[in-house]
Amino acid sequence: MYSSEFDGAAAFSGGGFMPSQAAPAPDPSFSSHKNRNVRTLLPMTVKQISEISSNDESSATIDGVDVNTVTIVGLVCSIQDKEPQFVFLIDDGTGQIECGRWAHEQMEFNEVNQISQGMYVRVYGHLKPLQDKRSLNAYCIRPVTDFNEITSHFIECIFVQLYNTRLRGGGSIQPQLTSSNNVISSNQYNIDGGKNIDQMVLNFLRRPDFLANNNGVHRNVIAQQLNLPMDKLMEALESLNENSLVYTLDECHYKSAVNA
Amino acid sequence: MDTSNPAVFVNGELLHMHVGRRVRAVIQVIQSDNVGVTGKSTDGLQVVVKGILPSFALTNFVEVIGISDGDRSIRAEMWNNFGNTFDTDNYNQLCKLANGEFKHLFI
Repeated sequence: MYSSEFDGAAAFSGGGFMPSQAAPAPDPSFSSHKNRNVRTLLPMTVKQISEISSNDESSATIDGVDVNTVTIVGLVCSIQDKEPQFVFLIDDGTGQIECGRWAHEQMEFNEVNQISQGMYVRVYGHLKPLQDKRSLNAYCIRPVTDFNEITSHFIECIFVQLYNTRLRGGGSIQPQLTSSNNVISSNQYNIDGGKNIDQMVLNFLRRPDFLANNNGVHRNVIAQQLNLPMDKLMEALESLNENSLVYTLDECHYKSAVNA
Repeated sequence: MDTSNPAVFVNGELLHMHVGRRVRAVIQVIQSDNVGVTGKSTDGLQVVVKGILPSFALTNFVEVIGISDGDRSIRAEMWNNFGNTFDTDNYNQLCKLANGEFKHLFI
Protein backbone atom coordinates (compact mmCIF):
# COMPACT_ATOMS: atom_id res chain seq x y z
CA MET A 1 0.00 0.00 0.00
CA TYR A 2 1.08 3.55 -0.55
CA SER A 3 2.07 5.46 2.51
CA SER A 4 -0.04 8.43 3.44
CA GLU A 5 2.88 10.67 2.56
CA PHE A 6 2.93 9.58 -1.08
CA ASP A 7 2.71 12.67 -3.21
CA GLY A 8 1.35 11.68 -6.60
CA ALA A 9 1.83 15.13 -8.05
CA ALA A 10 5.49 15.21 -7.09
CA ALA A 11 6.07 11.64 -8.30
CA PHE A 12 4.64 12.20 -11.76
CA SER A 13 5.46 15.82 -12.32
CA GLY A 14 8.92 15.19 -13.75
CA GLY A 15 12.15 16.15 -12.04
CA GLY A 16 14.90 13.67 -11.23
CA PHE A 17 16.81 13.14 -14.44
CA MET A 18 14.35 15.10 -16.50
CA PRO A 19 15.68 18.49 -17.52
CA SER A 20 13.64 21.25 -16.07
CA GLN A 21 13.40 22.95 -19.46
CA ALA A 22 11.48 19.96 -20.78
CA ALA A 23 8.68 20.49 -18.33
CA PRO A 24 5.91 22.66 -19.72
CA ALA A 25 5.55 26.06 -18.13
CA PRO A 26 2.85 26.02 -15.49
CA ASP A 27 -0.40 27.56 -16.57
CA PRO A 28 -0.97 30.59 -14.35
CA SER A 29 -4.71 29.96 -14.43
CA PHE A 30 -4.19 26.49 -13.01
CA SER A 31 -4.45 27.37 -9.35
CA SER A 32 -3.69 25.02 -6.48
CA HIS A 33 -7.42 24.99 -5.74
CA LYS A 34 -8.21 23.69 -9.20
CA ASN A 35 -5.37 21.19 -9.00
CA ARG A 36 -6.85 19.76 -5.82
CA ASN A 37 -10.27 19.39 -7.43
CA VAL A 38 -8.90 17.66 -10.50
CA ARG A 39 -7.53 14.89 -8.32
CA THR A 40 -10.93 14.05 -6.89
CA LEU A 41 -12.32 10.56 -7.38
CA LEU A 42 -16.05 10.73 -8.00
CA PRO A 43 -18.46 7.79 -7.80
CA MET A 44 -20.79 8.28 -10.76
CA THR A 45 -23.53 6.68 -12.79
CA VAL A 46 -23.11 6.43 -16.57
CA LYS A 47 -26.12 8.73 -16.88
CA GLN A 48 -24.24 11.39 -14.90
CA ILE A 49 -21.12 10.93 -17.03
CA SER A 50 -23.25 11.43 -20.16
CA GLU A 51 -24.37 14.79 -18.78
CA ILE A 52 -20.93 16.22 -18.04
CA SER A 53 -20.93 19.74 -19.31
CA SER A 54 -17.73 20.05 -21.28
CA ASN A 55 -16.27 18.14 -24.21
CA ASP A 56 -12.82 19.10 -23.06
CA GLU A 57 -11.19 16.70 -20.62
CA SER A 58 -9.33 19.46 -18.77
CA SER A 59 -12.47 21.44 -17.97
CA ALA A 60 -15.14 18.76 -17.59
CA THR A 61 -17.33 19.61 -14.63
CA ILE A 62 -20.42 18.29 -12.94
CA ASP A 63 -22.25 19.91 -10.02
CA GLY A 64 -19.54 22.57 -9.92
CA VAL A 65 -16.72 20.04 -9.43
CA ASP A 66 -13.96 19.27 -11.92
CA VAL A 67 -14.24 15.69 -13.11
CA ASN A 68 -11.22 13.67 -14.03
CA THR A 69 -11.10 10.36 -12.21
CA VAL A 70 -14.32 8.46 -11.64
CA THR A 71 -15.46 5.08 -10.39
CA ILE A 72 -18.41 3.12 -11.73
CA VAL A 73 -19.97 -0.27 -10.91
CA GLY A 74 -21.74 -2.30 -13.58
CA LEU A 75 -22.10 -5.44 -15.62
CA VAL A 76 -19.59 -6.43 -18.30
CA CYS A 77 -21.58 -6.64 -21.56
CA SER A 78 -18.67 -7.37 -23.88
CA ILE A 79 -14.90 -7.60 -23.93
CA GLN A 80 -12.76 -6.76 -26.96
CA ASP A 81 -9.21 -8.02 -26.91
CA LYS A 82 -7.12 -5.44 -28.80
CA GLU A 83 -3.90 -6.33 -27.02
CA PRO A 84 -2.27 -4.47 -25.42
CA GLN A 85 -5.60 -2.72 -24.83
CA PHE A 86 -8.75 -4.48 -23.67
CA VAL A 87 -12.05 -2.68 -24.15
CA PHE A 88 -14.88 -3.51 -21.75
CA LEU A 89 -18.43 -2.36 -22.42
CA ILE A 90 -19.90 -1.71 -18.95
CA ASP A 91 -23.63 -1.37 -18.30
CA ASP A 92 -24.47 0.08 -14.87
CA GLY A 93 -28.22 0.06 -15.49
CA THR A 94 -28.28 3.79 -16.25
CA GLY A 95 -26.32 3.44 -19.48
CA GLN A 96 -23.38 1.79 -21.19
CA ILE A 97 -19.82 3.09 -21.44
CA GLU A 98 -16.63 1.71 -22.97
CA CYS A 99 -13.70 1.30 -20.61
CA GLY A 100 -10.26 0.71 -22.09
CA ARG A 101 -7.64 -1.02 -19.96
CA TRP A 102 -4.05 -1.15 -21.16
CA ALA A 103 -2.09 -4.26 -20.17
CA HIS A 104 1.68 -4.45 -20.47
CA GLU A 105 2.82 -6.20 -17.30
CA GLN A 106 1.87 -9.72 -16.26
CA MET A 107 0.03 -8.29 -13.25
CA GLU A 108 -2.15 -6.21 -15.56
CA PHE A 109 -2.91 -9.23 -17.77
CA ASN A 110 -3.86 -11.17 -14.64
CA GLU A 111 -6.23 -8.38 -13.64
CA VAL A 112 -7.86 -8.34 -17.08
CA ASN A 113 -8.04 -12.13 -17.37
CA GLN A 114 -10.13 -12.49 -14.22
CA ILE A 115 -12.92 -10.43 -15.83
CA SER A 116 -15.56 -12.23 -17.86
CA GLN A 117 -18.76 -11.27 -19.63
CA GLY A 118 -21.85 -11.00 -17.40
CA MET A 119 -19.77 -10.24 -14.31
CA TYR A 120 -20.30 -7.22 -12.03
CA VAL A 121 -17.14 -5.12 -11.84
CA ARG A 122 -15.89 -1.91 -10.29
CA VAL A 123 -13.89 0.30 -12.60
CA TYR A 124 -11.65 3.21 -11.67
CA GLY A 125 -10.61 5.36 -14.59
CA HIS A 126 -9.91 8.70 -16.17
CA LEU A 127 -12.52 10.32 -18.36
CA LYS A 128 -11.36 10.41 -21.94
CA PRO A 129 -12.24 13.45 -23.98
CA LEU A 130 -15.36 13.25 -26.02
CA GLN A 131 -14.55 12.69 -29.67
CA ASP A 132 -17.50 10.85 -31.02
CA LYS A 133 -18.33 9.38 -27.60
CA ARG A 134 -17.08 9.70 -24.04
CA SER A 135 -15.24 6.71 -22.56
CA LEU A 136 -13.07 5.73 -19.61
CA ASN A 137 -9.37 5.02 -19.59
CA ALA A 138 -9.43 2.43 -16.80
CA TYR A 139 -6.49 2.00 -14.46
CA CYS A 140 -8.16 -0.63 -12.30
CA ILE A 141 -10.96 -3.06 -13.00
CA ARG A 142 -11.92 -5.73 -10.50
CA PRO A 143 -14.82 -8.14 -9.95
CA VAL A 144 -17.49 -7.27 -7.38
CA THR A 145 -17.68 -10.13 -4.89
CA ASP A 146 -19.94 -8.62 -2.24
CA PHE A 147 -23.09 -7.51 -4.05
CA ASN A 148 -23.91 -4.98 -1.35
CA GLU A 149 -21.14 -2.97 -3.03
CA ILE A 150 -23.55 -2.31 -5.90
CA THR A 151 -26.08 -0.75 -3.53
CA SER A 152 -23.41 1.21 -1.68
CA HIS A 153 -21.91 2.54 -4.91
CA PHE A 154 -25.19 4.04 -6.08
CA ILE A 155 -25.93 5.44 -2.61
CA GLU A 156 -22.48 7.05 -2.74
CA CYS A 157 -23.35 8.54 -6.14
CA ILE A 158 -26.47 10.06 -4.58
CA PHE A 159 -24.60 11.36 -1.53
CA VAL A 160 -21.78 12.92 -3.54
CA GLN A 161 -24.25 14.61 -5.88
CA LEU A 162 -26.25 15.87 -2.90
CA TYR A 163 -23.09 17.10 -1.17
CA ASN A 164 -21.78 18.90 -4.23
CA THR A 165 -25.05 20.57 -5.13
CA ARG A 166 -26.50 21.49 -1.76
CA LEU A 167 -24.23 20.95 1.22
CA ARG A 168 -21.03 22.26 -0.35
CA GLY A 169 -22.94 25.04 -2.08
CA GLY A 170 -21.91 24.01 -5.60
CA GLY A 171 -22.68 25.91 -8.74
CA SER A 172 -25.85 24.13 -9.72
CA ILE A 173 -28.08 25.05 -6.79
CA GLN A 174 -31.53 25.54 -8.18
CA PRO A 175 -33.38 28.55 -6.80
CA GLN A 176 -36.58 26.57 -6.35
CA LEU A 177 -34.65 23.88 -4.48
CA THR A 178 -33.21 26.42 -2.10
CA SER A 179 -36.59 27.96 -1.57
CA SER A 180 -38.24 24.66 -0.79
CA ASN A 181 -35.47 23.88 1.69
CA ASN A 182 -36.20 27.11 3.47
CA VAL A 183 -39.87 26.38 3.67
CA ILE A 184 -39.23 22.97 5.17
CA SER A 185 -36.57 24.25 7.52
CA SER A 186 -38.52 27.20 8.81
CA ASN A 187 -41.18 24.88 10.08
CA GLN A 188 -38.66 22.60 11.74
CA TYR A 189 -36.07 24.91 13.26
CA ASN A 190 -37.07 24.39 16.84
CA ILE A 191 -37.19 20.61 16.49
CA ASP A 192 -33.77 19.87 15.10
CA GLY A 193 -31.73 22.33 17.13
CA GLY A 194 -28.99 24.81 16.40
CA LYS A 195 -27.19 23.03 13.62
CA ASN A 196 -30.32 22.99 11.50
CA ILE A 197 -30.80 26.72 12.06
CA ASP A 198 -27.22 27.33 10.92
CA GLN A 199 -27.88 25.36 7.74
CA MET A 200 -31.19 27.10 7.18
CA VAL A 201 -29.60 30.54 7.51
CA LEU A 202 -26.73 29.48 5.25
CA ASN A 203 -29.14 28.18 2.61
CA PHE A 204 -31.04 31.46 2.81
CA LEU A 205 -27.89 33.55 2.32
CA ARG A 206 -26.87 31.33 -0.59
CA ARG A 207 -29.95 32.16 -2.60
CA PRO A 208 -28.77 33.41 -5.97
CA ASP A 209 -30.42 36.81 -5.54
CA PHE A 210 -28.61 37.37 -2.23
CA LEU A 211 -25.30 36.08 -3.58
CA ALA A 212 -25.56 38.63 -6.36
CA ASN A 213 -26.28 41.45 -3.91
CA ASN A 214 -23.05 43.10 -2.77
CA ASN A 215 -24.69 44.85 0.16
CA GLY A 216 -25.52 41.63 2.01
CA VAL A 217 -28.78 40.87 3.76
CA HIS A 218 -30.02 42.75 6.83
CA ARG A 219 -30.44 40.52 9.87
CA ASN A 220 -34.02 41.76 10.32
CA VAL A 221 -34.85 40.52 6.82
CA ILE A 222 -33.33 37.09 7.56
CA ALA A 223 -35.21 36.85 10.87
CA GLN A 224 -38.47 37.89 9.27
CA GLN A 225 -38.20 35.65 6.20
CA LEU A 226 -37.15 32.59 8.18
CA ASN A 227 -39.50 33.34 11.05
CA LEU A 228 -36.64 33.10 13.55
CA PRO A 229 -36.27 34.85 16.92
CA MET A 230 -33.39 37.36 16.77
CA ASP A 231 -31.37 35.67 19.52
CA LYS A 232 -31.46 32.32 17.69
CA LEU A 233 -30.55 34.02 14.43
CA MET A 234 -27.59 35.85 15.99
CA GLU A 235 -26.32 32.60 17.50
CA ALA A 236 -26.46 30.97 14.08
CA LEU A 237 -24.80 33.93 12.34
CA GLU A 238 -22.00 34.04 14.92
CA SER A 239 -21.42 30.32 14.54
CA LEU A 240 -21.37 30.58 10.74
CA ASN A 241 -19.07 33.59 10.96
CA GLU A 242 -16.63 31.70 13.19
CA ASN A 243 -16.56 28.91 10.62
CA SER A 244 -15.95 31.42 7.81
CA LEU A 245 -19.14 30.43 6.04
CA VAL A 246 -20.62 33.93 6.26
CA TYR A 247 -19.15 37.37 6.92
CA THR A 248 -20.51 40.70 8.09
CA LEU A 249 -20.41 43.84 6.01
CA ASP A 250 -21.37 46.00 8.99
CA GLU A 251 -23.13 45.26 12.26
CA CYS A 252 -26.36 44.27 10.57
CA HIS A 253 -25.68 42.99 7.06
CA TYR A 254 -24.51 39.45 6.35
CA LYS A 255 -23.34 37.66 3.22
CA SER A 256 -22.42 34.07 2.36
CA ALA A 257 -18.68 33.50 1.95
CA VAL A 258 -19.37 31.09 -0.90
CA ASN A 259 -19.22 32.66 -4.36
CA ALA A 260 -18.60 35.97 -2.62
CA MET B 1 -21.91 5.77 -24.53
CA ASP B 2 -25.57 4.86 -24.64
CA THR B 3 -28.17 5.82 -22.05
CA SER B 4 -31.22 4.99 -24.17
CA ASN B 5 -32.11 1.68 -22.52
CA PRO B 6 -31.68 1.93 -18.74
CA ALA B 7 -32.76 -0.73 -16.25
CA VAL B 8 -34.40 1.03 -13.33
CA PHE B 9 -33.96 -0.14 -9.74
CA VAL B 10 -37.35 -1.36 -8.55
CA ASN B 11 -38.97 -3.07 -5.60
CA GLY B 12 -42.39 -4.76 -5.80
CA GLU B 13 -44.32 -1.56 -5.24
CA LEU B 14 -42.49 0.37 -7.96
CA LEU B 15 -42.93 -2.25 -10.71
CA HIS B 16 -46.22 -0.83 -11.95
CA MET B 17 -44.57 2.54 -12.64
CA HIS B 18 -42.39 1.00 -15.36
CA VAL B 19 -44.67 -1.34 -17.27
CA GLY B 20 -43.09 -2.23 -20.62
CA ARG B 21 -39.71 -0.81 -19.59
CA ARG B 22 -36.45 -2.42 -18.47
CA VAL B 23 -36.13 -2.84 -14.73
CA ARG B 24 -33.87 -4.61 -12.28
CA ALA B 25 -34.87 -6.03 -8.95
CA VAL B 26 -33.33 -8.19 -6.27
CA ILE B 27 -35.61 -10.96 -5.07
CA GLN B 28 -35.32 -13.62 -2.43
CA VAL B 29 -36.18 -16.89 -4.15
CA ILE B 30 -39.22 -18.66 -2.72
CA GLN B 31 -39.88 -21.18 -5.46
CA SER B 32 -38.30 -22.00 -8.81
CA ASP B 33 -39.67 -24.39 -11.45
CA ASN B 34 -40.00 -24.77 -15.23
CA VAL B 35 -42.66 -22.09 -15.44
CA GLY B 36 -40.88 -19.32 -13.59
CA VAL B 37 -39.45 -18.10 -10.35
CA THR B 38 -41.49 -16.75 -7.46
CA GLY B 39 -39.70 -14.53 -5.02
CA LYS B 40 -39.99 -11.83 -2.41
CA SER B 41 -39.03 -8.30 -3.46
CA THR B 42 -36.94 -6.07 -1.21
CA ASP B 43 -40.11 -4.42 0.10
CA GLY B 44 -41.55 -7.82 1.03
CA LEU B 45 -44.03 -8.30 -1.84
CA GLN B 46 -44.42 -11.49 -3.85
CA VAL B 47 -43.06 -11.14 -7.39
CA VAL B 48 -43.38 -13.63 -10.25
CA VAL B 49 -40.59 -13.80 -12.84
CA LYS B 50 -41.06 -15.51 -16.19
CA GLY B 51 -39.33 -15.17 -19.56
CA ILE B 52 -35.78 -16.47 -19.94
CA LEU B 53 -35.21 -18.79 -17.02
CA PRO B 54 -31.79 -19.14 -15.39
CA SER B 55 -29.53 -21.90 -16.66
CA PHE B 56 -27.74 -22.19 -13.32
CA ALA B 57 -28.72 -22.94 -9.74
CA LEU B 58 -30.04 -19.84 -7.99
CA THR B 59 -28.73 -18.57 -4.70
CA ASN B 60 -31.04 -17.24 -1.98
CA PHE B 61 -30.91 -13.70 -3.43
CA VAL B 62 -30.91 -13.07 -7.17
CA GLU B 63 -30.98 -10.00 -9.33
CA VAL B 64 -33.29 -10.16 -12.29
CA ILE B 65 -33.06 -7.72 -15.18
CA GLY B 66 -36.00 -7.69 -17.55
CA ILE B 67 -39.19 -6.00 -18.65
CA SER B 68 -41.83 -5.01 -16.13
CA ASP B 69 -45.01 -6.88 -17.04
CA GLY B 70 -47.22 -4.99 -14.64
CA ASP B 71 -48.01 -5.42 -11.01
CA ARG B 72 -45.61 -7.85 -9.36
CA SER B 73 -44.45 -9.49 -12.60
CA ILE B 74 -41.19 -9.33 -14.58
CA ARG B 75 -40.27 -10.91 -17.92
CA ALA B 76 -36.63 -11.85 -17.32
CA GLU B 77 -33.77 -11.23 -19.73
CA MET B 78 -30.87 -11.81 -17.38
CA TRP B 79 -30.18 -13.33 -13.97
CA ASN B 80 -27.35 -12.70 -11.52
CA ASN B 81 -26.78 -14.65 -8.34
CA PHE B 82 -26.31 -12.25 -5.42
CA GLY B 83 -25.43 -14.94 -2.85
CA ASN B 84 -27.14 -16.13 0.28
CA THR B 85 -26.94 -12.93 2.29
CA PHE B 86 -27.88 -9.48 1.05
CA ASP B 87 -28.95 -6.22 2.69
CA THR B 88 -32.47 -5.87 1.28
CA ASP B 89 -33.29 -2.77 3.37
CA ASN B 90 -30.49 -0.74 1.84
CA TYR B 91 -31.44 -1.91 -1.64
CA ASN B 92 -35.06 -1.02 -0.99
CA GLN B 93 -34.10 2.50 0.09
CA LEU B 94 -31.99 2.82 -3.05
CA CYS B 95 -35.00 1.79 -5.18
CA LYS B 96 -37.07 4.56 -3.59
CA LEU B 97 -34.36 7.21 -4.05
CA ALA B 98 -33.69 6.13 -7.65
CA ASN B 99 -37.38 6.55 -8.49
CA GLY B 100 -37.90 9.68 -6.44
CA GLU B 101 -35.75 12.67 -5.56
CA PHE B 102 -32.66 11.37 -7.36
CA LYS B 103 -34.32 9.88 -10.42
CA HIS B 104 -32.29 12.21 -12.65
CA LEU B 105 -29.09 10.35 -11.74
CA PHE B 106 -30.52 7.07 -13.02
CA ILE B 107 -33.02 7.61 -15.82
